[in-house]
Amino acid sequence: MVMHATQAAHHHPRNRAVTTSRDFDDCVLRIAADRDREAFATLFDHYAPRVKALLMRSGSPAAAAEELAQETLLSVWRKAHLFNPERASSAAWIFTIARNLRIDSLRRGDASVYAADLSLAADEPAQPDAILSGAQDAELVRAAMRTLNPDQARAIEMAFFHEQTHTQISQALGVPLGTVKARIRFGMMKLRAFIERDVGGAA
Amino acid sequence: MSLRRQPSEERLLAYAAGTLSAPEAVVVATHLALKPETRPWADLGRAVGGALLDEAEPVPMDVGARDAALALLDTPAANDKPIPPESADLSLPEPLRGLPLGPWRWAGPGVHVRNVIGPRDGDCRVVLLRIAPGQCAPRHTHGGVELTCVISGAYTTEDGVFAQGDFEEADPKVTHQPRVISEEACLCVAALDGQIVLPGRLGRLLAPFVKL
Repeated sequence: MVMHATQAAHHHPRNRAVTTSRDFDDCVLRIAADRDREAFATLFDHYAPRVKALLMRSGSPAAAAEELAQETLLSVWRKAHLFNPERASSAAWIFTIARNLRIDSLRRGDASVYAADLSLAADEPAQPDAILSGAQDAELVRAAMRTLNPDQARAIEMAFFHEQTHTQISQALGVPLGTVKARIRFGMMKLRAFIERDVGGAA
Repeated sequence: MSLRRQPSEERLLAYAAGTLSAPEAVVVATHLALKPETRPWADLGRAVGGALLDEAEPVPMDVGARDAALALLDTPAANDKPIPPESADLSLPEPLRGLPLGPWRWAGPGVHVRNVIGPRDGDCRVVLLRIAPGQCAPRHTHGGVELTCVISGAYTTEDGVFAQGDFEEADPKVTHQPRVISEEACLCVAALDGQIVLPGRLGRLLAPFVKL
Protein backbone atom coordinates (compact mmCIF):
# COMPACT_ATOMS: atom_id res chain seq x y z
CA MET A 1 0.00 0.00 0.00
CA VAL A 2 1.32 3.33 -1.01
CA MET A 3 0.44 6.35 1.03
CA HIS A 4 1.21 9.82 -0.16
CA ALA A 5 2.82 12.21 2.22
CA THR A 6 -0.25 14.31 2.70
CA GLN A 7 -2.41 11.28 3.33
CA ALA A 8 0.09 9.94 5.81
CA ALA A 9 -0.18 13.18 7.71
CA HIS A 10 -3.94 13.17 7.68
CA HIS A 11 -4.02 9.66 9.00
CA HIS A 12 -2.41 10.89 12.16
CA PRO A 13 -4.18 14.08 13.10
CA ARG A 14 -2.63 14.16 16.55
CA ASN A 15 0.58 15.33 14.94
CA ARG A 16 -1.09 18.06 12.99
CA ALA A 17 -0.59 20.98 15.29
CA VAL A 18 -1.81 24.41 14.28
CA THR A 19 1.61 24.91 12.78
CA THR A 20 2.83 22.22 10.39
CA SER A 21 6.38 21.05 9.75
CA ARG A 22 6.37 22.96 6.49
CA ASP A 23 5.58 26.14 8.37
CA PHE A 24 8.67 25.61 10.49
CA ASP A 25 10.71 25.04 7.33
CA ASP A 26 9.35 28.37 6.07
CA CYS A 27 10.42 30.05 9.30
CA VAL A 28 14.03 29.03 8.71
CA LEU A 29 13.81 30.22 5.11
CA ARG A 30 12.36 33.55 6.23
CA ILE A 31 15.23 34.01 8.65
CA ALA A 32 17.70 33.29 5.84
CA ALA A 33 15.98 35.67 3.43
CA ASP A 34 14.81 38.50 5.67
CA ARG A 35 16.34 38.07 9.13
CA ASP A 36 12.74 37.66 10.24
CA ARG A 37 12.59 37.93 14.03
CA GLU A 38 9.00 36.83 14.24
CA ALA A 39 9.90 33.61 12.44
CA PHE A 40 12.70 33.16 14.94
CA ALA A 41 10.31 33.60 17.85
CA THR A 42 7.99 30.96 16.37
CA LEU A 43 10.88 28.51 15.98
CA PHE A 44 12.12 29.28 19.45
CA ASP A 45 8.77 28.60 21.06
CA HIS A 46 8.44 25.27 19.32
CA TYR A 47 11.96 23.93 19.24
CA ALA A 48 13.84 25.32 22.25
CA PRO A 49 11.74 23.37 24.80
CA ARG A 50 12.03 20.24 22.65
CA VAL A 51 15.77 20.54 22.19
CA LYS A 52 16.00 20.99 25.94
CA ALA A 53 13.88 17.88 26.47
CA LEU A 54 15.97 15.78 24.10
CA LEU A 55 19.22 16.90 25.71
CA MET A 56 17.89 16.09 29.15
CA ARG A 57 16.92 12.65 27.90
CA SER A 58 20.49 12.27 26.72
CA GLY A 59 21.68 12.92 30.24
CA SER A 60 22.38 16.66 30.25
CA PRO A 61 21.51 18.43 33.50
CA ALA A 62 18.63 20.90 33.12
CA ALA A 63 20.81 24.00 33.28
CA ALA A 64 23.21 22.69 30.63
CA ALA A 65 20.31 21.58 28.44
CA GLU A 66 18.75 25.03 28.75
CA GLU A 67 21.98 26.68 27.70
CA LEU A 68 22.53 24.34 24.76
CA ALA A 69 18.94 24.76 23.61
CA GLN A 70 19.46 28.51 23.67
CA GLU A 71 22.68 28.14 21.72
CA THR A 72 21.00 25.81 19.23
CA LEU A 73 18.35 28.34 18.37
CA LEU A 74 20.92 31.11 18.07
CA SER A 75 22.81 28.86 15.64
CA VAL A 76 19.62 28.40 13.65
CA TRP A 77 19.57 32.16 13.21
CA ARG A 78 23.22 32.35 12.18
CA LYS A 79 23.26 29.28 9.96
CA ALA A 80 19.84 29.68 8.36
CA HIS A 81 21.47 30.27 4.96
CA LEU A 82 22.75 26.67 5.08
CA PHE A 83 19.27 25.19 5.42
CA ASN A 84 18.06 23.43 2.29
CA PRO A 85 14.46 22.21 2.53
CA GLU A 86 15.04 19.85 -0.39
CA ARG A 87 17.48 17.88 1.70
CA ALA A 88 16.25 17.99 5.30
CA SER A 89 13.27 19.03 7.35
CA SER A 90 13.78 21.91 9.75
CA ALA A 91 13.37 19.36 12.55
CA ALA A 92 16.21 17.16 11.27
CA TRP A 93 18.35 20.19 10.58
CA ILE A 94 17.81 21.68 14.03
CA PHE A 95 18.42 18.26 15.54
CA THR A 96 21.76 18.19 13.72
CA ILE A 97 22.74 21.61 15.07
CA ALA A 98 21.84 20.55 18.60
CA ARG A 99 23.75 17.30 18.15
CA ASN A 100 26.88 19.13 17.00
CA LEU A 101 26.73 21.61 19.87
CA ARG A 102 26.28 18.79 22.34
CA ILE A 103 29.28 16.91 20.98
CA ASP A 104 31.25 20.13 21.20
CA SER A 105 30.17 20.76 24.78
CA LEU A 106 31.15 17.25 25.81
CA ARG A 107 34.54 17.83 24.19
CA ARG A 108 34.13 14.48 22.59
CA GLY A 109 36.54 14.97 19.79
CA ASP A 110 36.21 17.80 17.40
CA ALA A 111 32.86 19.05 16.19
CA SER A 112 34.44 20.16 12.91
CA VAL A 113 34.24 16.50 11.92
CA TYR A 114 30.47 16.85 11.83
CA ALA A 115 30.35 20.30 10.30
CA ALA A 116 29.91 18.82 6.83
CA ASP A 117 26.51 17.48 7.86
CA LEU A 118 25.21 21.02 7.92
CA SER A 119 26.99 22.41 4.89
CA LEU A 120 26.90 19.43 2.54
CA ALA A 121 23.17 19.74 2.36
CA ALA A 122 23.43 23.36 1.34
CA ASP A 123 25.72 23.23 -1.66
CA GLU A 124 26.01 20.37 -4.15
CA PRO A 125 23.11 19.55 -6.37
CA ALA A 126 23.50 16.07 -4.93
CA GLN A 127 23.72 13.00 -7.11
CA PRO A 128 20.39 11.17 -7.13
CA ASP A 129 21.76 8.21 -5.18
CA ALA A 130 23.28 10.48 -2.57
CA ILE A 131 20.03 11.77 -1.18
CA LEU A 132 17.16 10.14 0.58
CA SER A 133 14.14 11.49 -1.23
CA GLY A 134 11.41 12.05 1.29
CA ALA A 135 13.71 12.54 4.28
CA GLN A 136 12.96 16.26 4.10
CA ASP A 137 9.28 15.55 4.81
CA ALA A 138 9.04 15.42 8.59
CA GLU A 139 5.50 14.11 8.59
CA LEU A 140 6.41 11.28 6.24
CA VAL A 141 9.33 10.32 8.48
CA ARG A 142 7.07 10.25 11.53
CA ALA A 143 4.58 8.12 9.62
CA ALA A 144 7.40 5.75 8.69
CA MET A 145 8.41 5.45 12.33
CA ARG A 146 4.93 4.34 13.24
CA THR A 147 5.38 1.31 10.96
CA LEU A 148 8.22 -0.01 13.15
CA ASN A 149 7.44 -2.73 15.62
CA PRO A 150 8.00 -1.67 19.25
CA ASP A 151 11.27 -3.59 19.55
CA GLN A 152 12.74 -1.94 16.48
CA ALA A 153 11.53 1.50 17.58
CA ARG A 154 13.04 1.03 21.03
CA ALA A 155 16.40 -0.15 19.72
CA ILE A 156 16.59 2.79 17.31
CA GLU A 157 15.57 5.27 19.98
CA MET A 158 18.16 3.94 22.40
CA ALA A 159 20.87 4.63 19.85
CA PHE A 160 20.05 8.33 20.35
CA PHE A 161 19.93 8.53 24.10
CA HIS A 162 22.75 6.32 25.19
CA GLU A 163 26.36 7.22 24.97
CA GLN A 164 27.19 3.59 25.03
CA THR A 165 28.10 0.61 23.02
CA HIS A 166 25.58 -1.73 21.55
CA THR A 167 26.81 -4.21 24.11
CA GLN A 168 25.46 -2.00 26.87
CA ILE A 169 22.21 -1.44 25.02
CA SER A 170 21.90 -5.17 24.70
CA GLN A 171 22.36 -5.53 28.45
CA ALA A 172 19.82 -2.81 29.14
CA LEU A 173 17.28 -4.47 26.88
CA GLY A 174 18.13 -7.96 28.08
CA VAL A 175 18.59 -9.33 24.57
CA PRO A 176 21.70 -10.54 22.77
CA LEU A 177 23.91 -8.05 20.96
CA GLY A 178 23.14 -9.58 17.60
CA THR A 179 19.44 -9.06 18.24
CA VAL A 180 19.93 -5.37 18.99
CA LYS A 181 21.93 -4.90 15.82
CA ALA A 182 19.37 -6.79 13.77
CA ARG A 183 16.52 -4.73 15.19
CA ILE A 184 18.31 -1.49 14.33
CA ARG A 185 19.28 -2.74 10.89
CA PHE A 186 15.85 -4.03 9.93
CA GLY A 187 14.21 -0.98 11.45
CA MET A 188 16.42 1.33 9.41
CA MET A 189 15.78 -0.65 6.22
CA LYS A 190 12.06 -0.55 6.86
CA LEU A 191 12.11 3.22 7.40
CA ARG A 192 14.12 3.79 4.26
CA ALA A 193 11.91 1.55 2.15
CA PHE A 194 8.76 3.25 3.44
CA ILE A 195 10.11 6.75 2.85
CA GLU A 196 11.44 5.99 -0.61
CA ARG A 197 8.39 4.08 -1.73
CA ASP A 198 6.18 6.87 -0.59
CA VAL A 199 7.88 9.40 -2.78
CA GLY A 200 8.05 6.92 -5.65
CA GLY A 201 11.81 7.02 -5.65
CA ALA A 202 12.42 3.30 -5.31
CA ALA A 203 10.73 2.12 -8.50
CA MET B 1 33.52 -11.77 6.36
CA SER B 2 32.38 -8.23 5.87
CA LEU B 3 32.22 -7.85 2.11
CA ARG B 4 30.45 -4.56 2.21
CA ARG B 5 32.54 -1.48 1.84
CA GLN B 6 30.35 0.74 4.00
CA PRO B 7 29.59 1.03 7.71
CA SER B 8 26.70 -1.02 9.05
CA GLU B 9 23.31 0.64 9.40
CA GLU B 10 23.61 0.61 13.19
CA ARG B 11 26.96 2.36 13.05
CA LEU B 12 25.57 4.95 10.65
CA LEU B 13 22.62 5.49 12.96
CA ALA B 14 24.89 6.02 15.96
CA TYR B 15 26.92 8.45 13.85
CA ALA B 16 23.82 10.43 12.92
CA ALA B 17 22.58 10.33 16.49
CA GLY B 18 25.88 11.71 17.75
CA THR B 19 26.48 8.77 20.05
CA LEU B 20 29.29 7.11 18.12
CA SER B 21 32.69 7.48 19.77
CA ALA B 22 34.76 10.36 18.40
CA PRO B 23 37.44 8.20 16.71
CA GLU B 24 34.85 6.03 15.00
CA ALA B 25 32.91 9.10 13.94
CA VAL B 26 35.99 10.48 12.17
CA VAL B 27 36.35 7.34 10.06
CA VAL B 28 32.62 7.19 9.29
CA ALA B 29 32.54 10.90 8.39
CA THR B 30 35.50 10.41 6.05
CA HIS B 31 33.70 7.53 4.36
CA LEU B 32 30.55 9.66 3.98
CA ALA B 33 32.57 12.50 2.47
CA LEU B 34 34.08 10.16 -0.11
CA LYS B 35 31.08 7.92 -0.78
CA PRO B 36 27.94 9.94 -1.44
CA GLU B 37 25.89 6.78 -1.96
CA THR B 38 26.10 6.01 1.77
CA ARG B 39 24.77 9.42 2.77
CA PRO B 40 21.07 8.50 2.60
CA TRP B 41 21.57 6.30 5.67
CA ALA B 42 23.03 9.21 7.60
CA ASP B 43 20.25 11.46 6.29
CA LEU B 44 17.76 8.89 7.53
CA GLY B 45 19.37 8.86 10.96
CA ARG B 46 19.13 12.63 11.23
CA ALA B 47 15.56 12.53 9.97
CA VAL B 48 14.77 10.11 12.79
CA GLY B 49 16.48 12.55 15.15
CA GLY B 50 14.20 15.27 13.79
CA ALA B 51 11.16 13.10 14.39
CA LEU B 52 12.25 12.40 17.97
CA LEU B 53 12.74 16.13 18.42
CA ASP B 54 9.28 16.95 17.08
CA GLU B 55 7.68 14.35 19.29
CA ALA B 56 9.62 15.14 22.44
CA GLU B 57 7.55 16.21 25.42
CA PRO B 58 8.59 19.89 25.71
CA VAL B 59 10.47 20.98 28.83
CA PRO B 60 9.71 24.68 29.35
CA MET B 61 12.58 27.08 28.93
CA ASP B 62 13.39 29.53 31.72
CA VAL B 63 11.28 32.66 31.90
CA GLY B 64 12.73 35.29 29.60
CA ALA B 65 14.83 32.82 27.60
CA ARG B 66 13.23 33.82 24.34
CA ASP B 67 13.71 37.53 24.93
CA ALA B 68 17.30 36.88 25.89
CA ALA B 69 17.79 35.01 22.62
CA LEU B 70 16.11 37.76 20.60
CA ALA B 71 18.39 40.31 22.21
CA LEU B 72 21.43 38.30 21.13
CA LEU B 73 20.46 37.89 17.49
CA ASP B 74 22.50 40.76 16.19
CA THR B 75 25.60 39.85 18.15
CA PRO B 76 28.06 38.24 15.78
CA ALA B 77 29.12 34.71 16.62
CA ALA B 78 32.47 34.46 18.29
CA ASN B 79 34.03 31.51 16.50
CA ASP B 80 31.83 30.56 13.62
CA LYS B 81 34.73 29.84 11.31
CA PRO B 82 37.53 28.24 13.28
CA ILE B 83 40.95 28.62 11.73
CA PRO B 84 42.49 25.23 10.89
CA PRO B 85 45.49 24.42 13.05
CA GLU B 86 48.90 24.87 11.50
CA SER B 87 49.53 21.14 11.29
CA ALA B 88 46.25 20.45 9.48
CA ASP B 89 46.38 19.03 5.96
CA LEU B 90 43.88 20.82 3.76
CA SER B 91 44.18 18.21 1.02
CA LEU B 92 42.48 15.62 3.22
CA PRO B 93 38.74 14.91 2.99
CA GLU B 94 36.67 17.58 4.69
CA PRO B 95 36.08 15.88 8.06
CA LEU B 96 39.84 15.59 8.60
CA ARG B 97 40.77 19.04 7.35
CA GLY B 98 40.26 20.90 10.61
CA LEU B 99 42.19 18.47 12.78
CA PRO B 100 45.75 18.91 14.00
CA LEU B 101 48.14 16.15 12.95
CA GLY B 102 51.24 14.71 14.52
CA PRO B 103 54.43 14.25 12.50
CA TRP B 104 54.82 11.37 10.07
CA ARG B 105 56.81 8.60 11.64
CA TRP B 106 58.56 5.73 9.97
CA ALA B 107 56.84 2.54 11.05
CA GLY B 108 58.45 -0.21 9.05
CA PRO B 109 59.51 -0.68 5.44
CA GLY B 110 57.33 1.48 3.22
CA VAL B 111 55.04 2.39 6.09
CA HIS B 112 54.45 5.74 7.76
CA VAL B 113 51.98 6.70 10.42
CA ARG B 114 50.85 9.97 11.97
CA ASN B 115 48.41 10.71 14.74
CA VAL B 116 45.23 12.64 14.18
CA ILE B 117 45.15 14.70 17.33
CA GLY B 118 41.91 15.25 19.16
CA PRO B 119 39.37 12.49 18.72
CA ARG B 120 39.88 10.02 21.53
CA ASP B 121 37.76 7.61 23.45
CA GLY B 122 39.66 5.82 26.16
CA ASP B 123 42.36 3.92 24.34
CA CYS B 124 40.75 4.44 20.97
CA ARG B 125 42.28 7.08 18.71
CA VAL B 126 42.71 7.99 15.08
CA VAL B 127 45.77 7.64 12.86
CA LEU B 128 46.65 8.16 9.24
CA LEU B 129 48.57 5.35 7.58
CA ARG B 130 50.60 5.71 4.41
CA ILE B 131 51.79 2.51 2.83
CA ALA B 132 54.00 2.26 -0.22
CA PRO B 133 52.97 0.52 -3.46
CA GLY B 134 53.47 -3.21 -3.44
CA GLN B 135 53.86 -3.34 0.31
CA CYS B 136 52.48 -6.53 1.72
CA ALA B 137 51.40 -6.98 5.29
CA PRO B 138 52.65 -10.07 7.08
CA ARG B 139 50.09 -12.31 8.72
CA HIS B 140 49.23 -11.13 12.16
CA THR B 141 46.38 -11.49 14.56
CA HIS B 142 44.77 -8.60 16.33
CA GLY B 143 41.97 -7.49 18.61
CA GLY B 144 39.79 -4.51 19.40
CA VAL B 145 37.62 -2.44 17.15
CA GLU B 146 39.42 -1.37 14.06
CA LEU B 147 37.81 0.78 11.45
CA THR B 148 39.60 1.83 8.29
CA CYS B 149 38.66 4.07 5.41
CA VAL B 150 40.81 4.40 2.29
CA ILE B 151 41.51 8.04 1.44
CA SER B 152 43.56 7.37 -1.68
CA GLY B 153 45.21 4.42 -3.38
CA ALA B 154 44.01 0.87 -2.93
CA TYR B 155 44.82 -2.41 -1.30
CA THR B 156 43.63 -5.92 -1.89
CA THR B 157 42.78 -8.79 0.41
CA GLU B 158 41.01 -12.13 0.08
CA ASP B 159 37.82 -10.04 0.18
CA GLY B 160 38.82 -8.10 -2.89
CA VAL B 161 39.97 -4.60 -3.55
CA PHE B 162 39.53 -1.71 -1.12
CA ALA B 163 39.77 1.61 -2.94
CA GLN B 164 39.03 5.27 -2.25
CA GLY B 165 36.22 5.71 0.25
CA ASP B 166 35.91 2.03 1.06
CA PHE B 167 35.26 1.28 4.70
CA GLU B 168 36.52 -1.78 6.45
CA GLU B 169 35.65 -3.12 9.83
CA ALA B 170 38.30 -5.63 10.85
CA ASP B 171 37.02 -9.00 11.89
CA PRO B 172 39.10 -10.11 14.85
CA LYS B 173 38.59 -13.75 13.95
CA VAL B 174 40.16 -13.52 10.52
CA THR B 175 43.68 -12.82 9.41
CA HIS B 176 44.41 -11.55 5.95
CA GLN B 177 47.39 -10.51 3.98
CA PRO B 178 46.55 -7.20 2.36
CA ARG B 179 48.79 -5.69 -0.27
CA VAL B 180 48.84 -2.19 -1.72
CA ILE B 181 48.06 -2.46 -5.41
CA SER B 182 47.82 1.19 -6.41
CA GLU B 183 50.69 2.90 -8.23
CA GLU B 184 50.65 5.60 -5.60
CA ALA B 185 50.95 4.99 -1.88
CA CYS B 186 47.77 3.99 -0.09
CA LEU B 187 46.58 6.53 2.46
CA CYS B 188 44.07 5.39 5.07
CA VAL B 189 42.43 6.85 8.15
CA ALA B 190 41.84 4.39 10.94
CA ALA B 191 40.33 4.23 14.40
CA LEU B 192 42.21 1.83 16.56
CA ASP B 193 41.59 0.54 20.01
CA GLY B 194 44.14 -0.54 22.56
CA GLN B 195 47.87 -0.14 22.77
CA ILE B 196 49.26 -3.03 20.87
CA VAL B 197 47.60 -3.54 17.57
CA LEU B 198 47.31 -1.22 14.65
CA PRO B 199 44.13 -1.00 12.66
CA GLY B 200 43.08 -2.73 9.50
CA ARG B 201 44.76 -5.50 7.75
CA LEU B 202 47.39 -3.13 6.50
CA GLY B 203 48.19 -1.88 9.92
CA ARG B 204 49.05 -5.31 11.09
CA LEU B 205 52.51 -5.13 9.69
CA LEU B 206 53.18 -2.16 11.92
CA ALA B 207 52.58 -3.96 15.16
CA PRO B 208 56.16 -5.15 15.68
CA PHE B 209 57.50 -1.65 15.08
CA VAL B 210 55.13 0.85 16.54
CA LYS B 211 53.90 1.61 20.01
CA LEU B 212 51.01 4.00 19.81
